[in-house]
Amino acid sequence: MNPLSAIRQYIAQVPAGLGQMGGAEAKIPTGELNGLSAPGLADVTEAAKPVEGSFSGVLGHFVNEVNAKQSMAVQTVQDLQSGQNVSLHQAMIAMEEASVSFQLMVEVRNRLLESYQELMRMQV
Amino acid sequence: MIQLLPGASSTVAALSAERVRLDVITQNIANANTTRGLDGKVYRRQEVCFESALSAVEGGDDRSGGGPRVSLIRKDMSPGRMVFQPGHPHADGNGMVEMPNVSIHEEMADMIVASRSFEANLAVLKNSRQLASMTLAIGKK
Repeated sequence: MNPLSAIRQYIAQVPAGLGQMGGAEAKIPTGELNGLSAPGLADVTEAAKPVEGSFSGVLGHFVNEVNAKQSMAVQTVQDLQSGQNVSLHQAMIAMEEASVSFQLMVEVRNRLLESYQELMRMQV
Repeated sequence: MIQLLPGASSTVAALSAERVRLDVITQNIANANTTRGLDGKVYRRQEVCFESALSAVEGGDDRSGGGPRVSLIRKDMSPGRMVFQPGHPHADGNGMVEMPNVSIHEEMADMIVASRSFEANLAVLKNSRQLASMTLAIGKK
């Protein structure tokens, strides 16, 4: 899962970058999933406050969900090939779900990166 | 967990149900000349009934009626054709053999209907996947 490990490395780096802004914790309970519908500067400034549920929390939550979907897809395909009670279309749909959720996670990461970079470009 | 692709759970149910129907049709056609089944009697044609399964509330939606569900697989007990064949091992006293009540033409027509329904559901699924991809590309520059 090389892309997922790349995302994990990013998660580890982001708190270090935000530390200059008096920023976020490294380990955050993943129950928080704050408004990702508008990832913009608002999210970044919210992450700058020492509040739980910032970048790494949200991304960690996403990574876990995507990992769960991918492993479910793999499990479904294995069940299909070993003759369990799984039909072909269920396996295909499980793989599609995993692929779409992975692309969603990549898009979320892109948005967060953009807003972070925009914030860093602000002149002090 | 099927929430990313819109309406995917109904489509999955429909695909499974149509597959069951196709399986039953296949069995009917394969046994069109079977004069002795497992129960010692002539093979009786089976038919499938669907019902709409009110899916459990998904994520708080109030949408009623998920995909179809196979409610029962019923044996069609109408009598089969009697064929005069005195030399047949299963012939009764008058030399008549009862053939299964499977009409190949009807089964073929049902098979076409089930196949087209299956393909329609596949097209719906492809469409949902395409819509999901286009949605994810909203922010792309």
